Amino acid sequence: MSRVLVVDDEPQILRALQTGLRGAGYEVDTAATGGEALTAAAVRPPDAVILDLVLPDMRGTEVCRELRTWSTVPVIVLSVVGDEDEKVAALDAGADDYVTKPFGLDELLARLRAALRRAEPSAEPVLEIGELRIDLEAHTVTFDGRSVQLTPHEYSLLTLLARNEGKLLTHQAILRDVWGKAYADESHYLHVYVSQLRRKLEPDPARPRYILTEPGAGYRLVDPLRTS
Amino acid sequence: MRARADLLVGLPAAAGSVALVTMAIAVLKPHVPVLSLPVLYELAIIPVAVLWGVTLATVVSVASMLAFNWFFLPPTHTFQLSDAENWLALAVFLVTAVAVSVLATQARHRAQLAAERGLEAEAVRRSDTMKTAVLHAVSHDLRSPLTAIVAAASGLGNPDLHLPEADRDELVATIRTEAERLDRVVGNLLDLSRLRSGVAEPHQELWTADDLVSRALDELGPQHERVVTELDGDAPPVHVDAAQIERALVNLLDNALKFSPPSSPVRIRLESRGTELLVHVEDDGPGVAPADREAVFEAFQRGDGTARGAGLGLAIARGFAEVNGARVWAENGGGGHFVLALPT
Repeated sequence: MSRVLVVDDEPQILRALQTGLRGAGYEVDTAATGGEALTAAAVRPPDAVILDLVLPDMRGTEVCRELRTWSTVPVIVLSVVGDEDEKVAALDAGADDYVTKPFGLDELLARLRAALRRAEPSAEPVLEIGELRIDLEAHTVTFDGRSVQLTPHEYSLLTLLARNEGKLLTHQAILRDVWGKAYADESHYLHVYVSQLRRKLEPDPARPRYILTEPGAGYRLVDPLRTS
Repeated sequence: MRARADLLVGLPAAAGSVALVTMAIAVLKPHVPVLSLPVLYELAIIPVAVLWGVTLATVVSVASMLAFNWFFLPPTHTFQLSDAENWLALAVFLVTAVAVSVLATQARHRAQLAAERGLEAEAVRRSDTMKTAVLHAVSHDLRSPLTAIVAAASGLGNPDLHLPEADRDELVATIRTEAERLDRVVGNLLDLSRLRSGVAEPHQELWTADDLVSRALDELGPQHERVVTELDGDAPPVHVDAAQIERALVNLLDNALKFSPPSSPVRIRLESRGTELLVHVEDDGPGVAPADREAVFEAFQRGDGTARGAGLGLAIARGFAEVNGARVWAENGGGGHFVLALPT
């Protein structure tokens, strides 16, 4: 059974999530402050953390950064509309995903399942996501059986997104990983490469089903057969 | 007042500048054709027009024309003119001078308008910042209960979840209490706008404090179980609007419940002092820092220094207290301690 640590200072939200997550088969720990959350995560390491961005003693982003110095546990942040900057800051500080308040339990459960699945280490040399197949050893990509020719940068971008299937990657994180630190602010590079990738992969590049844009935050690669 | 003070400075300044230009013309006269010189009077007229307006500038124009005629046009030291050409020159000069004054005054007016617009734009920007802060705070207070409601309702509606009876009951209870909380937030916003626009006219009657407190507890919902009351049957009746004082009390209690540990009690007790009946509301929370003791009563402020919501409750409690001739303040003490003093 996976254990989830839920961090929110609103007791009612905490109670509703605790009851709902327990009903979905998770073991639930709760914390009302950033300090309590860090202690709880150290004493009883959870399999995933659900973290409100606004806490009485510190920002959720700081909790995330602190947590990342010693733990790789998946973190899903709870944000609100109008707090986009804080949300992106949290993702850059190492959060894996976010849901926007108010959210349905189903949405949270789906994000949680995806985060836990990614946390499972996979030694598979082949990534298969829907009709997309990447052979990491042979460096080849096929889509629906047909071979796709990619430039080295396109290939790194695609494998980065595919290795983090379902996870939202921020512009900065992608640029740093694929192009290097010096390019971290060159978002237009990324937009150009993403649209090239879509043209080569997506059946209808204008209505992408694999590489999805999260406005103002980043990109995520999803399996359209699994999410629909 | 301002216009007269302006004129006290303006008149001598205007006279002085006309005299100065006249002297300058006297110096230049041997060297240049005399009819080209009146234009120098514009040096006196334009500053006067800009600083004191078109009326004084017109006076200066006429004075300049007369001075030029008197000192330089034959026959000199009379206002008569021997030459028709000179008449024309003076007329042209006067018209030009007045036109220039009008233009100069308009230029000043436009510059002022532009400056005022700049100030207005600044004020609009400031009020936009304030509105953003208010919206942020209000959105937190509305979204927190909404989040609990949506999460609980979608949990109940999910057939894949295994929810024992007790958990279902708990989710249903959450939806109810959070809906009531949402209703209180909306009520607070309406109350605040009523207080701000001055339409919160109190209908004062004699009430016992016991009555007011029990109505407030009723309003509080399930949380009222944490409130320990110490009432006094001999307390004098108070002269207030029951509905408004009930809101003030509910907000004080709500505040105490919110900022103290969930398992600790909130105490409410009465004390008769002079012409007032004091209602003490005490909790085991961190209390209010001395520096914040007034600030907590301002809308969109919170004692803990974080931007976690509007914190409208105390502002409304004070607003309703004041329209009823009552007072409310934060006391020193170990935990949170607020006092509502009602007129007897």
